Amino acid sequence: MNILLEILLSVLIVAGASFTFIGSLGLARLRDFYTRLHGPTKGTTLGVGCLLIASAIFFSTRDEGISLHEGLITLFLFITAPISAHLLAKAALHLKVESLVPLPDEAIERKNKQHQKYHSVD
Amino acid sequence: MGLAYLTFIPFIGAAFTTVSTRLGRYSSAWVAVITAAASLSLLLPLAHDVMAGQTIIQHASQWVPSLGLNIAFRLDGLSLLFTLMILLIGLVVIIYARYYLSPRDSMGRFYAYLLLFMGSMLGIVLSENIIQLLIFWELTSLSSFLLISYWQQREEASRGARMALTITGGGGLAMLGGFLLLGKIAGSYELSSILESGDMIRQHALYPYMLILILLGVFTKSAQFPFHFWLPNAMAAPTPVSSYLHSATMVKAGIFLLARFFPALSGTPEWTWIVTLTGLITFLTGAYIALFKHDMKALLAYSTISHLGLIVMLFGIGTPLAVVAAVFHIMNHAIFKASLFMLAGIVDHETGTRDMRQLRGLRKYMPYTALLTMIAAASMAGIPFLNGFLSKEMFFAETVEHGNSMALPWLLPLIVTAGGIFAAAYSIRIAHNVFFNGKAEDLPKIPHEPSRGMQIPVEILVGLCLLTGIFPAQIAGPMLSVAVTSTLQTTAPDYQLAIWHGVNPALIMSMVAVAGGILVYRSREALFTLQSRFDGMFEAKRIYNGAIRRLFNWSSSITMNVDNLSQKRMLWLLFVASIVMGASGFIVHDAPLAGARTMLPVDPMSAMVAFIMIAAAISTVVMHQQRFTALVLVSAVGLGVALTFIKFSAPDLALTQLSVEFITVVLLLLALFFLPQRTPDESDRLRQGRDIVIALLAGSGVAALSYAVLTREYSTIGDYFISNSVSGGGGANVVNVLLVDFRGFDTMGEITVLALAGIGIYAMLDKLKLLSPQQDEDGRPWNPDTHPVVMATFSRLLLPLALMVSIFILLRGHNLPGGGFIAGLVTSVALIVQYLANGVEWTRTKLPANTHPLIGSGLLIAASTGVASWYFSYPFLTSTFHHFHIPLLGDLELASAMAFDLGVYLVVVGTSLLILINLGLIHQVSYQPRITKKNLASPTTDSDTTPSRSAALKKVLPWKR
Repeated sequence: MNILLEILLSVLIVAGASFTFIGSLGLARLRDFYTRLHGPTKGTTLGVGCLLIASAIFFSTRDEGISLHEGLITLFLFITAPISAHLLAKAALHLKVESLVPLPDEAIERKNKQHQKYHSVD
Repeated sequence: MGLAYLTFIPFIGAAFTTVSTRLGRYSSAWVAVITAAASLSLLLPLAHDVMAGQTIIQHASQWVPSLGLNIAFRLDGLSLLFTLMILLIGLVVIIYARYYLSPRDSMGRFYAYLLLFMGSMLGIVLSENIIQLLIFWELTSLSSFLLISYWQQREEASRGARMALTITGGGGLAMLGGFLLLGKIAGSYELSSILESGDMIRQHALYPYMLILILLGVFTKSAQFPFHFWLPNAMAAPTPVSSYLHSATMVKAGIFLLARFFPALSGTPEWTWIVTLTGLITFLTGAYIALFKHDMKALLAYSTISHLGLIVMLFGIGTPLAVVAAVFHIMNHAIFKASLFMLAGIVDHETGTRDMRQLRGLRKYMPYTALLTMIAAASMAGIPFLNGFLSKEMFFAETVEHGNSMALPWLLPLIVTAGGIFAAAYSIRIAHNVFFNGKAEDLPKIPHEPSRGMQIPVEILVGLCLLTGIFPAQIAGPMLSVAVTSTLQTTAPDYQLAIWHGVNPALIMSMVAVAGGILVYRSREALFTLQSRFDGMFEAKRIYNGAIRRLFNWSSSITMNVDNLSQKRMLWLLFVASIVMGASGFIVHDAPLAGARTMLPVDPMSAMVAFIMIAAAISTVVMHQQRFTALVLVSAVGLGVALTFIKFSAPDLALTQLSVEFITVVLLLLALFFLPQRTPDESDRLRQGRDIVIALLAGSGVAALSYAVLTREYSTIGDYFISNSVSGGGGANVVNVLLVDFRGFDTMGEITVLALAGIGIYAMLDKLKLLSPQQDEDGRPWNPDTHPVVMATFSRLLLPLALMVSIFILLRGHNLPGGGFIAGLVTSVALIVQYLANGVEWTRTKLPANTHPLIGSGLLIAASTGVASWYFSYPFLTSTFHHFHIPLLGDLELASAMAFDLGVYLVVVGTSLLILINLGLIHQVSYQPRITKKNLASPTTDSDTTPSRSAALKKVLPWKR
């Protein structure tokens, strides 16, 4: 195999692994829910992306035609990761999970207005 | 093969009738007519040979060759007589029912049941193999259950149907025992060889037991004393059913067997005594009770019991001439009793009542019906120039003959004449009481003549009564002679079918019976008063009900002793029992725990996955009171299993595991929504300690067992599949070839079970409304934004991609990891995401709302792939494959198993969606009140309209305290 190609693949794989690791570390180490959410959604997505590019290049240069599976996986990943992050954040806001930064006043106000009745029961 | 087709055509017709109702209300009647006519047209060419004296035996196919069982059919004179009765009276009843059923009744269902019954009955009379006969016998019990309980909303219908099924089903069980003994004695289950070895059978030591078992079946089915009481209770069925099953055909099935086995079983003292006495008692009690029944159908039911007793008694007497009389009376009774039931149905239909204390003077409103009833009733009473007279006179003559051989020659004729008097009396009553006897008043409806469609069937039957009565030798003679010959299996005796035999004892007995009947009828008022004192004192039904009640109490007390509704106790028993049994095996046989095989090295990756799974399992136990947390932890175990499958190169299994995991978690979440989020403490320290010990023992027991198995050398059948997968099944993916080819039949069973489970869940959840909690445990309300826009939009984008992947998996499944099951799961996951993201209501409008057709077509495709191999005379589900060369696409291999796989795929998708949609719909119902504007706008009244969670749960889950 071409030495240049090998170097390229190695760089991609190491970068992917590092991003994934940083993402996981962030999930474990960061201090509140909202910041932790960044780890798996940004870092890990990027890391997996690098690995997928490496995989696509590797399998496409083995004389078996262009490998398209990775494209599909990327597509799935790019659609699903933001949705799950969005839903997690939404749930956290709804449950008023504690944050390092106070919630924006506007959001709190809207929430209270929506659920006034429940507070009155409490 | 003609006979096999003849028998199975009604079963196929039954399937079509239910479908045909979509083409219009009456189309199912047409389908039923065509079905009966088709069977009849197959019969006619064969009938010609049978009338010439032949016996046709057709071996259709092998059944269980190792037990000497074949599927075979037989047509001789006796079966021809019954086949004709079943088909012709069936046709007449089909036409009658078309006009009888009211617009509220489902016609398709009625005709489907009726044709099912017709096919089962044909099976009984045409079977050559007696085990095959028994299967059809039980099918008639089942189809008659369905027919009796046709009006499901009526309490007495379902009670009568249950009673009939219990009695006839129990009799069928006894008969199975009898048949097995008979087959053992005769050395064959084929009728032809059984009928030839009569002497050997009668001398065998097991003969008495076998006879009693078979007679139990016969007497229960033919409503003989003391099993007669189910028949009057079966009158809750629609009248066409009573006319067909409970007079002409099904109750004659027992008598058919008496006739069928007559050459093999009759002639011994046991036979003569048991059969004659049972027949005599039934004849008398039936005739007596019939007179005192005020319901027209009840009267006819008891008179049917009485006539069946008469026929049974003739077979008991057992002389050749008695058999002639019996066979002749079978024909005659079927004709006049079927017409009388139809006439009772007409009266009921036009006046709204069958109570003879209310009915009178209908002659003025329906003179033609009155005429028909008088002729049919006269035939039943035994008046000359009608068919009933002829066979009844033969019966009287036989009793005189038989009486001569007894100690008191006058006793038997005297008893029988007494029965004849009551028979004449109730026959007069049904005609006179209803149509004469004063002026009609206080009727629920103003009566008038029925539609022609209801009259024509009766006209046909009454016409037959007259024709047979006037020209017996020409109309009934040929049929009777072949039927008798094949019943006796020798040449028929000399007999004269004539109206006038000169003045003989039989004629005198007939005259006395009719004259006495008139006298009894005239003094009926006094008799009714007398009888009313004994009402309900000797009712067999009460004894039966008492016995059934005791049986239920007994069995429920046994059940409650084992299972006191505590799931913990059941699990406790189960685990302790398996620990004891497992351990005892190791203790009794002193095999070492570890086998000879050396362990594989442990790699860090596997160890880590195993550690994660163990940790997740333990935390599930620790956290089990937090239900949502426990669910998340348990799904971590599932993911660990999927990783393990990948490690051991089973990508199929890993994919399946992942999809199943996903679907399970979603379904559990939907169900958990209605349950409390935390489980309260339910057991004390001591019990917890006990449970921990049991759990540890059971768990380590399973671990030790796996260890013992895995450390031993053994060869699995897997090697065979791996080496034969490509050559035998045409696929390189062994797992898939195993599922759709080698073990295709298992898979067929599994998808059927899956479909049944899905439909069962549907039946339980359909229209169920549950109150849902308004807020979570900490009093926080749910987020009102149930379907976030971001998720809804993107999930729609995802659908085509996911479907493409699933179809890819389906198509490549035969050679590469994939297949119908996995593809089905992936499709379900893709669709479930749509339901979750967009809501059930919205998605139901875009996707097919009803997934039943999906399940049905899946099963149909899978089954027809299997049946298709019959066409090439291979066993069921044999698959074939072929390589095709298609330009552009290249070499393509197509296996018939792929069609089967498609069936699997459809069933999986259909079932999982069915369950999810219905769980989701309960959800939806409960969501509605909360998101309405009114609720949001009026916070002050909220405490009244939203009950607290625990209060809501108490309503929903009564056992929750």
